[in-house]
Amino acid sequence: MDLQLFLLIIVVVTALAFDFTNGFHDTGNAMATSIASGALKPRVAVGLSAVLNVVGAFLSTAVAATIAKGIIDSHLVSLELVFAGLVGGIVWNLMTWLLGIPSSSAHALIGGIVGAMIAAVGGHGVIWRGLVSSVVVPAVLSPVIAGLVAAICTWLVYRVTRGVSKERTNAGFRYGQIGSASLVSLAHGTNDAQKTMGVIFLALIAYGAASSRAGVPPIWVIFSCALAIALGTYLGGWRVIRTLGKGLVEIESPQGMAAESASAVIILLSSHFGYALSTTHVATGSILGSGVGRPGAEVRWGVAGRMAAAWLITLPSAGIVGAITYFIVHGIGGYAGICIGFALLVAVATAVYLRSRRAPVNPNNVNDEWDGSLTGGLNAPEKVAATVPAGPASHDAVPEERPQP
Amino acid sequence: MIQWFNYIATLKILIFGLLLGAVLPTLFGVGVRLNAEGAGVAVHSGAVAHRNPILLALSWVIFALVLAAVIVGVLFIARDFIGHHTGLYILGAKHK
Repeated sequence: MDLQLFLLIIVVVTALAFDFTNGFHDTGNAMATSIASGALKPRVAVGLSAVLNVVGAFLSTAVAATIAKGIIDSHLVSLELVFAGLVGGIVWNLMTWLLGIPSSSAHALIGGIVGAMIAAVGGHGVIWRGLVSSVVVPAVLSPVIAGLVAAICTWLVYRVTRGVSKERTNAGFRYGQIGSASLVSLAHGTNDAQKTMGVIFLALIAYGAASSRAGVPPIWVIFSCALAIALGTYLGGWRVIRTLGKGLVEIESPQGMAAESASAVIILLSSHFGYALSTTHVATGSILGSGVGRPGAEVRWGVAGRMAAAWLITLPSAGIVGAITYFIVHGIGGYAGICIGFALLVAVATAVYLRSRRAPVNPNNVNDEWDGSLTGGLNAPEKVAATVPAGPASHDAVPEERPQP
Repeated sequence: MIQWFNYIATLKILIFGLLLGAVLPTLFGVGVRLNAEGAGVAVHSGAVAHRNPILLALSWVIFALVLAAVIVGVLFIARDFIGHHTGLYILGAKHK
């Protein structure tokens, strides 16, 4: 087996791993509100979301070929670079998952690839104007717009159902909520599974196994991506679901429906108008908005602020990990370089997983009372306080602990 | 040339987002209300509640409308896929 083929296989495996993290990181976007309001049982919710993600992955054949289109100079892309970018994305996804922060998987991936590109050829390989206009600006605007729509929607819904008994509204809106959450899952499948397909497709083209003029990626690419994202979704990112469903606002069925409707509409509209944006940012904005719009609801702005901070550093952090990975893989070179890079990734993933076991969030405790921090209200044998991210650049991924408040 | 900030798209998303994202759920809310009133569940405290088939029917019409809107939405997402596999180009799907 020659080195390029070996590289290609590693890249495909890593891309699928990224797709998997993307799945469990983003389950909350669609299902957190339904789980929190009790409209769906946790297991049923993630199962439904997984199936709809698969359907969504197949529904869209419009291959927006590469996620990095218009952001980096595609002529300069190499397999090592794609690998390094993916590692940046995965590491950031895992870290934020550990902390229960819903952050954008797309930003993590873009950050990783941009970082690797800068490490490889320098700043001129990056189309900065494209990065600002199609990544940074939408990231700022989309949560605001989604929040506004969700807030107005929530206010209107509570206004028109004023005086109707609570059992009655909850029963009715339960269906509306399940329907709108399903739409978000579907939209997620069409958007996010597509991104990984684009990356694998890019790798195949770089290797020469696929023609750059082919409109649709090979069927095994679509299959495996759909499967990876569905598997991740079904596993359920309970930590992120908990933050979205319980941490930001206390969610009732009508609010859940308003939030998910706003999310679905904004995601679909913006992809229609060719405005790529993060499902996560939209969903978070919507949920916040639904808290603002409901009279008397408490919004935990502190939690929201922590999220916003994480969003700000997503691009640079994933970029630094991507750049370091590129230096390691390219610096050592050959089989050894790529193997060491891959081994480091596995080590980080294992460390994060082991760390997460110390205060697990699962379907049984995902809806427990919110008590100051992600795991604060849980009956974990060993309570872990809110942790702050260690330098995400370091491959030593275990965040240092902050004293319990 | 790529612009730094796409005002037009942003405005469109905001306006259509409000139209679809806020109006549809509100319509659904109206349906829930009519359904409750029609079924004779006490809505206004103290008022005597009677079954009202017209309100009940109206509520189901509204639910049907919302459902239809959702189905159109799904078809809209899938329009290229459907066009590609069946030759039916709906809702502005692109011919390839």
